[in-house]
Amino acid sequence: MKPLPIVLAVAVFAISAQAQELLDDLESTLSLKTSDGFFRSDLTGLLDLEGYYVDQRPPGLLYDDESFFNPRLTFFLDTRLGPHLYTFVQARLDRGFDPGQKDFDARLDEYLLRWTPWNDSRLNLQFGKFATVVGSWVQRHDSWQNPLITAPLPYENLTPVSYDYIPASPGYFLARRHVPDQKDSWLPILWGPVYATGWELFGTMGKLDYALDLKNAAISSNPDQWDLNSSLWRYPTVSGRLGFRPVPEWNHGVSFSLGPYLSPEVSTALPAGKGINDYDQFTLGYDVSHAWHQWEWWGEVFLTRFEVPNVGDADLAAYYLEAKYKITAGLFAAARWNQELYGTVGNGLGGQETWGNDMYRIDLALGYRFTRHLQTKLQYSFGHRTGSLQQGEQLLAAQVTLQF
Amino acid sequence: MIGRCVFKAVCCALLLIGSGPGHAQALIEGKVALPGPEPQDLVPTRYAAQPGEIAPPDPPVAVVYLEGQFPEAATNSIRLTNEILQFGMQFRPALLPVRVGTAVAFPNGDDFYHNVFSYSKTKRFDLGRYRKSDRPPIEVFDKPGVVKLYCEIHRHMRGVILVLDTPYFTRTQTNGLYRLPGLPAGKYRLRAWVDERHVYEKQVDLESGQLLHLDFDAK
Repeated sequence: MKPLPIVLAVAVFAISAQAQELLDDLESTLSLKTSDGFFRSDLTGLLDLEGYYVDQRPPGLLYDDESFFNPRLTFFLDTRLGPHLYTFVQARLDRGFDPGQKDFDARLDEYLLRWTPWNDSRLNLQFGKFATVVGSWVQRHDSWQNPLITAPLPYENLTPVSYDYIPASPGYFLARRHVPDQKDSWLPILWGPVYATGWELFGTMGKLDYALDLKNAAISSNPDQWDLNSSLWRYPTVSGRLGFRPVPEWNHGVSFSLGPYLSPEVSTALPAGKGINDYDQFTLGYDVSHAWHQWEWWGEVFLTRFEVPNVGDADLAAYYLEAKYKITAGLFAAARWNQELYGTVGNGLGGQETWGNDMYRIDLALGYRFTRHLQTKLQYSFGHRTGSLQQGEQLLAAQVTLQF
Repeated sequence: MIGRCVFKAVCCALLLIGSGPGHAQALIEGKVALPGPEPQDLVPTRYAAQPGEIAPPDPPVAVVYLEGQFPEAATNSIRLTNEILQFGMQFRPALLPVRVGTAVAFPNGDDFYHNVFSYSKTKRFDLGRYRKSDRPPIEVFDKPGVVKLYCEIHRHMRGVILVLDTPYFTRTQTNGLYRLPGLPAGKYRLRAWVDERHVYEKQVDLESGQLLHLDFDAK
């Protein structure tokens, strides 16, 4: 596949006046509603054409080689039946949930049924497969709203903790600091938006927001664990967020999440008398955002603890600060400072050792919205880890997004 | 002698006033066929509850305006408010006709943020986030054409500013009735703008003092 001609063809088409009319028409054509407004169904979507270049083996949740092309077509179907019932489906055609993971993949990433008993938003109850309530990045994680191309570090940087591996001793666990990440096994603090399956209760009352969910997988879990499966309620994770908006420009939120992160398949390898439910991932988070005229700021900090068999509590802190500034109508710049700091675990020899490599990363991006349907972004990132092992220190990414 | 002079002067003044543009002004009135009101858009947010309640949008109206070569002395015949309020998560009014060069303010009437923007060829701007208590941003519309308004935060919000190169325009009532007074004599085009797909046009030949009735039916 030759990506550049495709990207240019899409961009030239989307900028043209005819395309604007066509895309505006498409918006109304793909919307079905009854004349009384009782039923309404909207099909919308995003076409993302992304290119990545990394100077070393790609870090975090970027798969494939040092440079690769990653197209993604996403469909969203929002359907409302009266004021009390709502369904949402997100389907994707791409190269895997994370960029470059496969050659081709088609998935239902989200589907949910929501019941809102009152006419206002004080209470909503939903069931299905949908994004986590933890943190605030989820609310702006799609390519149109994210001012950068990659996710913040806590949502994508892999730690040496695995869901499918039980270290025989602290030594084995600590040795993982010195090897490159194993993307299908290691876990981040949150795996992107964490589209796990379960229930959610949420609402807003005045200046307060609340959300509580019960899911089938931990927030760090691999996308393979998110689907509806036989172990749905055997190893549940409970998560919540309480938000406070004192004034329109400020948003504060505190989150928590607690639940087992190990796969049931490794239960036989656990120490005697222990089960999957004895090893939790416990996370506390604080998020804040501020918006003022052309500025938007976001920040999140997470403290997470993995209870690792034969090792003990492996603690980790991560945070990021992000800013976006609209330079003109259309042109914007964004910057994000990310840092991840590892705690220590007993090394089995009477001492304490850091169980991962501390890391910082700066992400810089410039974006332009040509129209209400076409946006492009260019991102440069520089990251560095303590120790001699580096992975993808420099990353250059470009993205063209067509919204319809 | 003095009384005669005063009488002549008054007569001359009356003649001059009588032959002025006020005497020659024509009037067009009629009705524009309008689409039915849109059902209220209760669009739930995907990932979090949305503060505030969505109010019903304004009922549809049309803009009726006269186009052509006008006498130089022509001035704005109708003064409409140059303000678009964001209230109840709707633009109010949802359709605002203005003359080229007009400044429009965009006050936020809600207790939460809006972010008005337009990427229209006629006018491209992004007002950013501002509160109800902030001084409303103002944009000057200096090119004729259609300016589509959106809110970056609330996707359902829609508004239009119709920037016109004519001083003779009005907005219909919600039942479609309109009245366009103070028009100069001559041959012109009368247009009714309902939306971008529904723009009706009729040729008119106005005479001084004429009252013309013209309806625009949906095609």
